[in-house]
Amino acid sequence: MEFRPRNYGAEEEEHAIPRVPADIHPLSAPSSSQHQVDVVDRERNDFLDPLRRPDAIVADSGENLKDEKNSSKAAVKLPGKEWSSFRKFLMQRFSVSKMISISSMPDVLTKSGKVHEKSSTSTHLEELDNPEKFAEEGVKVISRQAYVSRLHELKDEITRAWHADDRVTSLKLSIKVARLLMDTSVLQFYPTLFVLATDVINMLGDLVWERIKRKAEFTEDGVLICSLRENFEASDICFDAKETCNNWFCKISSIRELLPRIYLELAMLPCWRFLLDRPTDSLQRLVMMTRGIADPLASAYCRLYMAYRAQELPPCDRGYLITCINDLEILLMRIPSTKETTDGNFSENGRLLVSLMEPTIEYLMNCLFSYQTRVGNVHLKLGLGRNRSELYGKFPCTSIVLHHLLKELPTELVNSNAVEILQLIECSNDYSFNQYLNFRLLGFRLSEGRSQIDIVNVVVERVIQVVSQYNILEEYLKVVDAYMDIVLQNQMDNYLNIILDGILKRACDEVVAENELTILQSIFVKLLTHFDNLEDIFALKNFFEILDVMHGSSRSIVNMNILNIATRSGCIHDPTIIKVLFEVSRALHDSIDFSNMREDDNQQSACLISRFVNMVAYGPEMERHLTFLVECRGAFGCINELKETLVHSSNCLAIKAMKDGKTHLSFVKSCVAFSEVTIPSIPAHVVQLSLYLETAEVALSGGLVSHSDGLIDSAVNCLQSLDLMDGSQIRNDVDGILSLILKLCSLLVLVPGNFEQGVTYTLKSILSLINSELRITPRMRTRVLCAIVSLSATLSQNKLPYHVNHEEILANDCLFFGDPTYSQELLLLSASILQDLFNYILQEPSQATRGIMALEACNCIASSFHLSHEVVPICSKLMETAKLCLGINDKYLQSTMKFVDEHLPTSSRAVSSIADSQTQEGLVRC
Amino acid sequence: MSIELKLCRSNRIYRPNEPLEGKIVTKLPSSISHHGIRLTVNGSVNLQVRGGSAGVIESFYGVVKPIPIVNKSVEVASSGRIASGRTEIPFSMIPKHPQSENFERFYETFHGANISIQYLVTVDILRGYLHKSLSATLEFIIESEKANLPEQPVPPEMVIFYITQDTQRHPLLPELKSGGFRVTGKISTQCSLLDPISGELTVEASAVPIQSIDIHLLRVESIMVGEKIVTENSLIQTTQIADGDVCRSMTLPIYVILPRLLTCPTTFAGPFSIEFKVSIVITFQSDLSKLHPKSDPRTPRLWSAMESVPLELVRTK
Amino acid sequence: MVLVLAIGDLHIPHRAPDLPAKFKSMLVPGKIQHIICTGNLCIKEVHDYLKSLCPSLHITRGEYDEDARYPETKTLTIGQFKLGLCHGHQVVPWGDLDSLAMLQRQLDVDILVSGHTHQFKAYKHEGGVVINPGSATGAYSSITYEVNPSFVLMDIDGLRVVVYVYELIDGEVKVDKIDFKKTATASTNPTD
Repeated sequence: MEFRPRNYGAEEEEHAIPRVPADIHPLSAPSSSQHQVDVVDRERNDFLDPLRRPDAIVADSGENLKDEKNSSKAAVKLPGKEWSSFRKFLMQRFSVSKMISISSMPDVLTKSGKVHEKSSTSTHLEELDNPEKFAEEGVKVISRQAYVSRLHELKDEITRAWHADDRVTSLKLSIKVARLLMDTSVLQFYPTLFVLATDVINMLGDLVWERIKRKAEFTEDGVLICSLRENFEASDICFDAKETCNNWFCKISSIRELLPRIYLELAMLPCWRFLLDRPTDSLQRLVMMTRGIADPLASAYCRLYMAYRAQELPPCDRGYLITCINDLEILLMRIPSTKETTDGNFSENGRLLVSLMEPTIEYLMNCLFSYQTRVGNVHLKLGLGRNRSELYGKFPCTSIVLHHLLKELPTELVNSNAVEILQLIECSNDYSFNQYLNFRLLGFRLSEGRSQIDIVNVVVERVIQVVSQYNILEEYLKVVDAYMDIVLQNQMDNYLNIILDGILKRACDEVVAENELTILQSIFVKLLTHFDNLEDIFALKNFFEILDVMHGSSRSIVNMNILNIATRSGCIHDPTIIKVLFEVSRALHDSIDFSNMREDDNQQSACLISRFVNMVAYGPEMERHLTFLVECRGAFGCINELKETLVHSSNCLAIKAMKDGKTHLSFVKSCVAFSEVTIPSIPAHVVQLSLYLETAEVALSGGLVSHSDGLIDSAVNCLQSLDLMDGSQIRNDVDGILSLILKLCSLLVLVPGNFEQGVTYTLKSILSLINSELRITPRMRTRVLCAIVSLSATLSQNKLPYHVNHEEILANDCLFFGDPTYSQELLLLSASILQDLFNYILQEPSQATRGIMALEACNCIASSFHLSHEVVPICSKLMETAKLCLGINDKYLQSTMKFVDEHLPTSSRAVSSIADSQTQEGLVRC
Repeated sequence: MSIELKLCRSNRIYRPNEPLEGKIVTKLPSSISHHGIRLTVNGSVNLQVRGGSAGVIESFYGVVKPIPIVNKSVEVASSGRIASGRTEIPFSMIPKHPQSENFERFYETFHGANISIQYLVTVDILRGYLHKSLSATLEFIIESEKANLPEQPVPPEMVIFYITQDTQRHPLLPELKSGGFRVTGKISTQCSLLDPISGELTVEASAVPIQSIDIHLLRVESIMVGEKIVTENSLIQTTQIADGDVCRSMTLPIYVILPRLLTCPTTFAGPFSIEFKVSIVITFQSDLSKLHPKSDPRTPRLWSAMESVPLELVRTK
Repeated sequence: MVLVLAIGDLHIPHRAPDLPAKFKSMLVPGKIQHIICTGNLCIKEVHDYLKSLCPSLHITRGEYDEDARYPETKTLTIGQFKLGLCHGHQVVPWGDLDSLAMLQRQLDVDILVSGHTHQFKAYKHEGGVVINPGSATGAYSSITYEVNPSFVLMDIDGLRVVVYVYELIDGEVKVDKIDFKKTATASTNPTD
């Protein structure tokens, strides 16, 4: 038996495909027409840059604000869907205690069948006029659940009556349900009540619509008259259907009480289309009628329902919404006067009332601005255009209405009217909303678009003046946070300094509370994002002082942002910045809760610290760098992935020293030693293994043979401590471990043989490990064995395929040149492997895998050895096995047979007569 | 065994000179023979004098005879058989005699408290002495002939009203009297039956919070009994236009659709007349009012102020 | 004409902070139809970056890759060509033509792309082609620290492949090309 001789250099030369310079290539600069596109792409490219990717840790409140708005805005276009989510929102926002006390118990809530028995016989609606609200006196209590289920029952009753052609009962019950809305005595319950009652009333409206539509489309006998188009006109409707429609409006009109009458007409509002092409007048009248509802809450929700139902009409002038909002405002203005408590303060009840009315204002504003085309000069009508003297007059904007108006106004309008809006905010300091929140909102809205610099100047100057009077840190922060973007974008450095001073002044004396921290965090994130350069950021006045008042998770988030910026723009050279960042990292590290490493935040902190360590570059001061790594190992001992980074960094540092060309031997030694000491503290053995190999490579490159020997020993020991079958984590990575063993084999080509231990010492260690480990899979075992065979064949060559890039290291081809015992030893080792190989293959239970393993072994043997009479039978046996397992047509088998055939000495070609050459596919150069 | 009358118009509204068309529907378990099918139209003004709250006219109770308008009958079919199962027999008849225009006056259908103008169509299937005749009756509604109506739509006539503590003829609560109030507006005084009563109302001032503002639609029925004319006001419908203490100086709309059957054109006939009026009633918040929860809106109360205006209703094309 | 980017051994961030800026400005989204990456990226951000260049991304696992889900080897068919992908640290000895040829037979591919040695290579061997795109960041390898950053772009057009080699030498991008053709016998022979 002998190894097949190889001449790596000559083979490479023979097979290399020659390269020629290419002037034109697919990535060459594009023509000018494409250039612009290219620029955009490049920006995007930068954006997605792996080391500059935007981090998800930044939660900008301004963004959130926009999102909220967009979502509700988009939804308005789908009234049905949006309405149902709005209803859910109302129910959730104002949750109700279990029991509701109501001033009177309407009989509709008490389960009695009498109600509709009596009415079904009557033809007049007159009896509906008996107001039932006076029916019983005193406070009654009903559970919320009972109330809700009673309304659901009523809904069922109405449906049942309707389908039994008893539409009068349906109407009567619906009116009773609508009447419930007159009772606002339990404020907190009103939104829920509204949702439940409008659900019932809506249903009636839909039933009536369907009935009239059917009358218009079919005769009584069910014969089709005409199908109505989506946008039908009143003239398409037959007389009978119109009569029915008129009758319904008559019936509703006979309801005595105003509120139920409005609600039911609103439910039937779409039906006006059967009678009129432009039903806007009705809507306008209903708006005016609603003024008759004095109760602010009932009136507000009635307008809410109006805005909802009006969406069922063809798009029309949104003027009615403006009237609604203005009317609501008048009601809001009256609240303090009517609900004043004895001590003259705005009562808790009043505050509750405003919060209950807020969703209605929000919804109306939303409807008003959801139809961009119709906006026109809405802002003028709502009072934005009024001049200053009028503003201070009798009809100023209520702050809560102003708030929602400002929220919905198109960006351009906000920008062009910024000063007027500011004045409005200044003179609308009423109970209904906190004025500072309106200042804040204006800031956010202004940041959305680009405003003229002079306008911005006026606004910011004024706002800074206003907030300088604020003594409460939270209010101060909330406002300045909103103007941060504007101040930064317009480089208003003086204001920035004032703001930072202001924050410090208000924050230094107290423990900053959680919500304040959140805003501080937002401010910091804005600063960091804007400057994007640590020198500038660290130069900011009071930066570190303010950072120091922060604590907890907000502090960590800011720290993470700092690190993120630091690691985004390439290497970090400045020693002072490195020092600061080291401290930032240390603070972050100390805040990590290591008992809970699974949390993403912790993961991210660890990741950022690792990245920072990676990015540090002391340039020529490599000693300093290594010292830094040592410090890091001490400071961040709890982060395992950082240790990995430290090893990689010190290895990289060693390579850098070698590249420098000077003799840095002792430094390289220090680096390797650092790595060597650090690796054992990493808990994952697989990681250890791979790092031992990397460090061994580096040691070899540095000419440190004894180090590399030690490292390879450690690697083999590490391999031994890996339980190759146990532990689910390792089992999953069995391929990874195998590949590392194979890598180790290839690495051994570089390692000079150790005379004391014997040239095949490491190989034998691996071999004994593989052979002794009974639970190792047959596949893994054969692959390692094949690798040892290939390695032996390689080592036996007169010239090795690759050498260490270090003139002092003599590889085995030099050390053992012409030494017969050397190659004999390798041959013996391989021969012993060949004996066992076949048996190992047969241990594989899976037939397909067994076939592949046989072919792998066959290929390995055929390319490692001369195909002598000793070797050929082994190959034949393996190919036979493969044939049995895979079938003759298997491509791998065929290509293997062809390969073996080509390598046979001419005399024994016949061995692989089964080889089929017709499937060859050749590749030729052209 | 059932017999039913069905009119072609689902709203059952006809004018006197229009043919009353429809069908007689019989559902019979077995076929029957008959001596003819007869259709009769009957219209009359029924007058009733009841004791009102005033108690003056109790003695006249029930003495007034109805005034016939029309009683006309035709034979739809002569004697024969009607098959078992469902049978439809169409008919057509004009309620009014074509020649005698001045003879009969077809008042519009009206259901009031004391006066009722009603038109009925009756079918009788005569079955000899041995069997009871089958019959069915249906009310139909008469509206004035188009030819007699004014060509042009009636321009709504409005009246401007002021309601203050000084315009009230009944006693008011002292706080109302001293604090004062002023409610102004306008309201229809002439109105087509097809249009709503319209107008507007503004609370300009009120020292006492308002509880409610309602529009009452009233009928004024007068009947000639002997030498005397007995007149009674009664409530047709109440429509609330303000609930609670509404904002001052805000204009509220008045919008009341006139209920069918319960209203008709203002009528002055010899033996009777039908007129209408509207009352605007402002109820103020008062502890006293709670003691009288179900008060008759026509009765002036200490805590309410009112203003009534006559309303002329007309039929238009 | 299909453009396939072959790239690998970036070793970010352990051995290089980022791709060379000159490479980055050349690699823009929308030009490349497939990316085959031999491995050792090493972090997820690099994966995301490559994905942003082209969604059709195929990666095999290098020994330092964080993501253990990358397979050891991968094959894919592009046009008339079957391509095989493997990092190469598990080939004994590294970069050996015969050993790579074994892998090529096993994967049954026309073109085998592998890395690990951080040196651009292109061989025609036993009727197949073996390509090593080198290290895109010029990271030091197991054997040497004298490495020029390089990557490869293959223009596959029918039976013909033009391989462009982008190599950064002394701060300048040098582009060479090699080309080869699959013999016509292949087209008459239905392959799987």
